[in-house]
Amino acid sequence: MGMASMSSGSESLRLCVFDLRRGQHEGQELDKILFFYPPDLTFSTQLSVIGLSEGLITFTRLFSPEAACEVIEAERHSHVFYEAEPDIWMVMVVEKNKEIEAVWRIDALRRVLKEVHSLFVMFQGSIRALLEKEPTGGLIRSHLYPFITDYLNDLFVCKKHQLPSFRETLTERGTVQMLTLARDAALEVQSLVGVLDSCAGTVRCHSVILFHDLLVSTTLSPDDTVDLFAFSVMRLTTNALSSGTSSWSYLRKGSVTPQISSRSTSVLPLGSGGTLPSGNGSSTGRVIRPLQQDKWSKGKDGFLVTDIWGIDATPTILIQKTQERFYFLTYQYKSLTLVLLVPTAAIVNGELDISFVKQQVIENASAKILKVEEKLSKGWGGENAYHVSGYRYLLVDNDMEVSRASPAGKVATLAKESLLALNKLREEVDTEKSRSKQEKDMETCIRAKNNTWVIARLNRGKELYMALEKASETLLDATDSVQRFSNRYCSGAFSMD
Amino acid sequence: MATSDSSSSPSSSGTEFADPNPSTDPETNSERVQSQLESMNLSQPSEVSDGSHTEFSGGDDDDNDVASANGNEGGVSNGGLVSEGVAGISGEEEIEVSLRAENPVEMEAGEEPPSPTSSGYDGERGSSGGATSTYKADDVSEDEIREANVDGDTASQHEAAWLPGKRHVDEDDASMSWRKRKKHFFILSNSGKPIYSRYGDEHKLAGFSATLQAIISFVENGGDRVNLIKAGKHQVVFLVKGPIYLVCISCTDETYEYLRGQLDLLYGQMILILTKSIDRCFEKNAKFDMTPLLGGTDAVFSSLVHSFSWNPATFLHAYTCLPLPYALRQATGTILQDVCASGVLFSLLMCRHKVVSLAGAQKASLHPDDLLLLSNFVMSSESFRQVLNILSIRTSESFSPICLPRYNAQAFLHAYVHFFDDDTYVILLTTRSDAFHHLKDCRVRIETVLLKSNILSVVQRSIAEGGMRVEDLPIDRRRRSSTANQGQDTAVPEVSVGTGGPCGLWHFMYRSIYLDQYINSEFSPPVTSHRQQKSLYRAYQKLYASMHVKGLGPHKTQYRRDENYTLLCWVTPDFELYAAFDPLADKAMAIKICNQVCQRVKDVENEVFLQGASPFSW
Repeated sequence: MGMASMSSGSESLRLCVFDLRRGQHEGQELDKILFFYPPDLTFSTQLSVIGLSEGLITFTRLFSPEAACEVIEAERHSHVFYEAEPDIWMVMVVEKNKEIEAVWRIDALRRVLKEVHSLFVMFQGSIRALLEKEPTGGLIRSHLYPFITDYLNDLFVCKKHQLPSFRETLTERGTVQMLTLARDAALEVQSLVGVLDSCAGTVRCHSVILFHDLLVSTTLSPDDTVDLFAFSVMRLTTNALSSGTSSWSYLRKGSVTPQISSRSTSVLPLGSGGTLPSGNGSSTGRVIRPLQQDKWSKGKDGFLVTDIWGIDATPTILIQKTQERFYFLTYQYKSLTLVLLVPTAAIVNGELDISFVKQQVIENASAKILKVEEKLSKGWGGENAYHVSGYRYLLVDNDMEVSRASPAGKVATLAKESLLALNKLREEVDTEKSRSKQEKDMETCIRAKNNTWVIARLNRGKELYMALEKASETLLDATDSVQRFSNRYCSGAFSMD
Repeated sequence: MATSDSSSSPSSSGTEFADPNPSTDPETNSERVQSQLESMNLSQPSEVSDGSHTEFSGGDDDDNDVASANGNEGGVSNGGLVSEGVAGISGEEEIEVSLRAENPVEMEAGEEPPSPTSSGYDGERGSSGGATSTYKADDVSEDEIREANVDGDTASQHEAAWLPGKRHVDEDDASMSWRKRKKHFFILSNSGKPIYSRYGDEHKLAGFSATLQAIISFVENGGDRVNLIKAGKHQVVFLVKGPIYLVCISCTDETYEYLRGQLDLLYGQMILILTKSIDRCFEKNAKFDMTPLLGGTDAVFSSLVHSFSWNPATFLHAYTCLPLPYALRQATGTILQDVCASGVLFSLLMCRHKVVSLAGAQKASLHPDDLLLLSNFVMSSESFRQVLNILSIRTSESFSPICLPRYNAQAFLHAYVHFFDDDTYVILLTTRSDAFHHLKDCRVRIETVLLKSNILSVVQRSIAEGGMRVEDLPIDRRRRSSTANQGQDTAVPEVSVGTGGPCGLWHFMYRSIYLDQYINSEFSPPVTSHRQQKSLYRAYQKLYASMHVKGLGPHKTQYRRDENYTLLCWVTPDFELYAAFDPLADKAMAIKICNQVCQRVKDVENEVFLQGASPFSW
């Protein structure tokens, strides 16, 4: 079983990355293609997908020079565009199929592209930089291929890719889910962060702390936090490590199944590297696959270990905000996951220094980690901690890139019609948001055919989406429900006065 | 694999049609698609991104700048347009006859209807002259260049200045001003030949038209059909109707559903003029050039496009009546019904775009969209108002072949149109091409009744008085919230928020589902300028689209508030209500007012709706 098997049968996803600056001359068109999934499609098919995309990017720029093609809606497919870097485009083509519930929100699909690109940049640097490093494109292709394929593997369930459908309309990819801390716990966490940051002596470190799949603390910028959080939830947290038991995190709900994990460990997708447009990927040395599944385990000292970066090699990531590279060390205690980032520039003696830092963490922070874990566990409400009875909601803070939502299990109790109506409403809000230059302030309450209230509220960069089944029939009652929710759980952010 | 057809292996549909543009491209169709898509890349000129940008940046917020800058050339092309229309006459008639010959419902070819005027086509030459004269008129509607200055006061003056006809004929896809137009409409044939463009000369847009065709067929070759492309604020909407492709490129804030509906109406308008039998012309000859057939109909299309921004009938798919005393409408209905009994298919008495009364032969039903397209055709063609007859005497009766696309898209009917005054006209539709004299007699009978009952002056008075006004709604002084069980006695100020009706009500529309009719209130302050009115209609359109989601709708209720309006919509099996309030309006009071509006409409329904006097089942 290789990657090819994924593209056969009912597979209906296509994903490509191409560079508009390449292959401008006749006969060199293949040069544009940096990545194409499924890889076993003929070149002419690949070229026709990219040709259409490129043609429409150019065409739409005639009228809309500032924002080129974002989506093509055809009868049977949606083509979602994302300009990841200047002139480097990612296009995802998905098949619409009403029977198998393939109803999406385009913005949710675009967030998938955005996420895979951000993660790539975090580990490998920008696509453009790799292209400049090796202009033939072999290097970037050999990196993109395993990376995106590994990412797609996570979405692969029951012989096909599970893209974010209307069922996930009460989630927001590309945001962080936070744990609410009691005051005393917050103080403990703060003190722990202080200790972690000074574990490398005078060198300033960063840290990100998670409890289960929720963020407890970060010293990174919101953008960097989002990327590292996404990766942690995918691979590092206790839920991710015990991938056999499906994570309750609604973002990753059901995305990791035993079936995949058993498969992906045994098969290297690079085996099909011969289908790459440029076959010289191997000449550029070993390709690291940061998203490879089931490669992380907990070491004896409490630090997570992996051989992805080589035996005893510590992984590094690139922080967007400062464009600095950091070693990242992950320490785990029970459900508490701590990611410590040490600037590579400050580490002179490589792994030797790293083990010193590790030692410092164990010596200086162990007691605090224990304490924090204890406090958090005590206050921990479990999977349904953020369930609010009677409500199915999603709360997004765009400035902080944070979201909170009803637990997936509770959202699943909603009728399909309610979810579809809310999905549609979110689509309308997406359109309004994209058209408006400033932050939009709006309120929409719809009583759907099945009597569910679907509600969207936007206020000062915050968004609230709700589905209220079995609520009273009057608009005023529905509004009151929102008001009560807002007062209680959003510090009145959506209160109307 | 859905799109497994590679571009290098053309599907049969790609090669079916001969190349439409031998002068521009001698390759096969599918190769042309490729080269087109490719040339789009290569030719995307630096002119788009740099130089010319700044050239027009000054004109960005003022359309007149651009218009006057083009003034000189404009004169030349307008001249060209007129002479072309004249030159096209012989060809038009020839094709018209051939269309009829193919049409089983039609009379035999060659049998001229004894009409005092020529067919609709000739008449429309007059309106192309109109286009010339309107060229200098202030541009309004989407005519303005994008991101134009939002100035309420000047905008309000624009409304009166709107005149039908094509503007900016001197532009083409290379002009920056053309690219910046807010809303383009294109009709082209499946071989890429331009048929109609809202802006610019169709002939100069041949290359652009071929590009559109290339996009459509490229996707088609992959076994799919393109519906929509989104780019920033722009939407490119496609509609394929057999051999006819319709495309809208718009950055107006309208929904995809409505833009597609507009293309559908545009197609309907074309069918109304030509019937669907034009499809056969394309079957016989893929290179068939349709432009001469539509020669001089620019005013009809531009007026329809204009109506997309002011006429709710275009998205409600319902018609509206002129408010009239019940007895008078009944009397009119009776005579129209009598006329129908004498072999007339439909008889309509209209005032502008509003219905005074209408009747149909047994089992014949008229779709509201047909009514919209018909009245647009009649109202926008100068020829129907005043034509010179054979004796050079001015008359206002015409006889013209017309197709009702929803009634029967394949066949021509014959329309007898007579204007009683500037606003009021009768349309009698028949299947018989030799019925002119009979219809004329019918008109005389109708006219006699109208004169006897003085209906025409009542109609004029009704126009002057206008429809319902939000200010006239009774203000309920009780300060009780409509939902008493809430127990929240909202302390709402008695004086309404802002101006307009009670409790900040600015405007409403009420659509009766059984009658397929709607009424809307007159615009009141603060919704006074044309721009504000258009913006309100756009908000309604979005609300309508949101309520009628395909597969899910209709929803029951919707409340929507943003910085511009508070909107409420209520859909029941009997009616739909759309109401716009001040954005600060109180929710409870707004609900209460909506209930009052519904009650008020029910109170006056005999005056504002045409009640089931006719045996129509829509």
